[in-house]
Amino acid sequence: MKAFRMKAFSRLLLADFKQFLRDRVALFFSFAFPLLFMLIFGLVFSGEENVSYGVGLVSEGDSEAAQMIAQGLQQVPIFEMSEGDLEGKLAELRDGDLRAVVVIPADIDASMAGGRPADITAYYDPTQTTSAQVLLPILREVIGEMNRQLTQQPVPLRLTEESVQVHQLRTIDYMVPGILAMSVLFLGIFGGLPLVEWREKKILKRLGATPLNRATVVCSQVTYRLAVSALQAVIIIVIAYFAFDVHVVGSWLYLFGLLILGTLTFISIGYLAVSRARTTEGAMPIVQLVQFPMLFLSGIFFPADMMPDFMRPIVEAIPLSYLGDGFRQIMVDASPLHPMPLNVAVLAAWLVVSMALTIKLFSWE
Amino acid sequence: MVIEVENLVKRYGPVTAVDDISFHVDRGEVFAMLGPNGAGKTTTVEIIEGLRTADSGRVSVLGLDVSRVPADVKQRIGVQLQAPSLLPRLTVGEILTLFASFYRHSLPVHDILELLALTESRKVLVQNLSGGQQQRLSVAMALINDPDIAFLDEPTTGLDPQARRGLWTVIQDMKHQGKTIFMTTHYMDEAERLCDRVAVIDSGRIIALGSPQELIEGYFEEKAIQFEATPPPSEEALRGLPGVTNVVIDASEVVVYSSDIPDTLSSLLRLAETEGLTDQLEDLHVRQATLEDVFLKLTGRRIRE
Repeated sequence: MKAFRMKAFSRLLLADFKQFLRDRVALFFSFAFPLLFMLIFGLVFSGEENVSYGVGLVSEGDSEAAQMIAQGLQQVPIFEMSEGDLEGKLAELRDGDLRAVVVIPADIDASMAGGRPADITAYYDPTQTTSAQVLLPILREVIGEMNRQLTQQPVPLRLTEESVQVHQLRTIDYMVPGILAMSVLFLGIFGGLPLVEWREKKILKRLGATPLNRATVVCSQVTYRLAVSALQAVIIIVIAYFAFDVHVVGSWLYLFGLLILGTLTFISIGYLAVSRARTTEGAMPIVQLVQFPMLFLSGIFFPADMMPDFMRPIVEAIPLSYLGDGFRQIMVDASPLHPMPLNVAVLAAWLVVSMALTIKLFSWE
Repeated sequence: MVIEVENLVKRYGPVTAVDDISFHVDRGEVFAMLGPNGAGKTTTVEIIEGLRTADSGRVSVLGLDVSRVPADVKQRIGVQLQAPSLLPRLTVGEILTLFASFYRHSLPVHDILELLALTESRKVLVQNLSGGQQQRLSVAMALINDPDIAFLDEPTTGLDPQARRGLWTVIQDMKHQGKTIFMTTHYMDEAERLCDRVAVIDSGRIIALGSPQELIEGYFEEKAIQFEATPPPSEEALRGLPGVTNVVIDASEVVVYSSDIPDTLSSLLRLAETEGLTDQLEDLHVRQATLEDVFLKLTGRRIRE
């Protein structure tokens, strides 16, 4: 009896793989899509490390102080300074050629001599968030340093910066675990669709007329998805290593353990999502409705603290956030958002709950 | 007896799909269930196959209680569903190998391909098969485990005449091997030719059961005169002819049932002459009553509507 079930299981698994290999759409979304995603991100962000910001300098008078400020700004390595008149520089700022324009007033020497503060104006485009976040603090820093030098004040406190991170994380290091988590999400959440198709086309009914039991059908489907998930992960990791020099620093055992847990969790959620859908057309929007918010609110591609506060409870509930954080910790040793046991516990809880609900709700006919 | 059905009832909400049906099928029989769509054929068959559960009644297949040991029953029966239900991205050979693996005992795939004239399509993907080929494959899937009972739901629908006769031969061969075939069909000539017994089912009840010959003789002592005419003669005029027991007019097709063919026929021709219809009587012939006529008489409907 057992041997004959094994035979049915392995034949079914083989059939699942053959059908997968003959399904171009499935192949594209499983392999080409994550790689394409990674290549695009990789190319977009690969220049980020030696990025420079164009800053326009407008000196309205040719004073000593103005020259000093200009020199000070030129010493900031990520500033690419250019001088010109106010109107021209502002036009460049509006066209997006410059990130900021600094204006030194003509009366700066006079003001300083008179003991009044001179107004140095910085124009920037607030829609360019990096300008606000990166440029303005640096400008403040430069101006503050000038002030200190000009007034000859002693320095009572000095901040010495030392990074505690062992290796500097680049954007691509942050992205690759996110892409891996995304592919696990896709693979799992779409996992219920074949069963809906089989139900719709009466294939489940036909299988029900054979001695094959339902558990064997589901087990073969899940096993095949796990295998595709592992293959997908290997390909992503290998390409990330060779193309972008992203190293897996943590344990491969933990990585694949988490991969299996994550795949199972999202397969369960995928099954639950379509447990009552009658047709493939009807099931697709339901899956999308689960998948999109999860993808964008999970923080797998950008830090979750960018979300508004009222979204936080949702972000905290999404299992993908924990999978992404787990992958990030294991793969590139990123600083944890959550402790690892919490990541595992949340995924496991989602797995158990959605599996229980699926067993209760899934309609076989 | 390989199938025994006693007082079977199945309700869907207010609708009673199967209303207290009892019958049995003997070993080595070709048994057919005939009836209009929605009569309860499929529900009855699916309860026997173990795909549905009955509200009440008892079903025994090969001496086993289907509701208690469905897996044991399924080992020994073969099922063909009305919808082909095939996996589109597998080849014919692969799908048969797959289904063979579900059973403890199965026939070599090669033999089944040969039997249903699918050998040349062995490596063709199911999605590229013609409708007739898919239909034969779904029959092949039902026979892969060398079943003691094969349930075939309209097995010849969509087949060309040659493939149809080929399948009749397969069914007759199985019968000679002592297998039992339980089928449904829309083709009355097929049922008459192939089946040892038929059950006519309507609104969830069996309204007639017997061999095709018994049914025809039981319901029709008379024969039928059939012809086409446009416009057809009036029904009253036809009913008034001597020997006429019944008249059915369907558009231009006219069937006159008669217990005295010579008398009726000569009066019919005289009637046609007086009404000037002689030239318009086409395809006039006298025939035996058929199962189709029995069906029409019992249900008031043609089986294909």
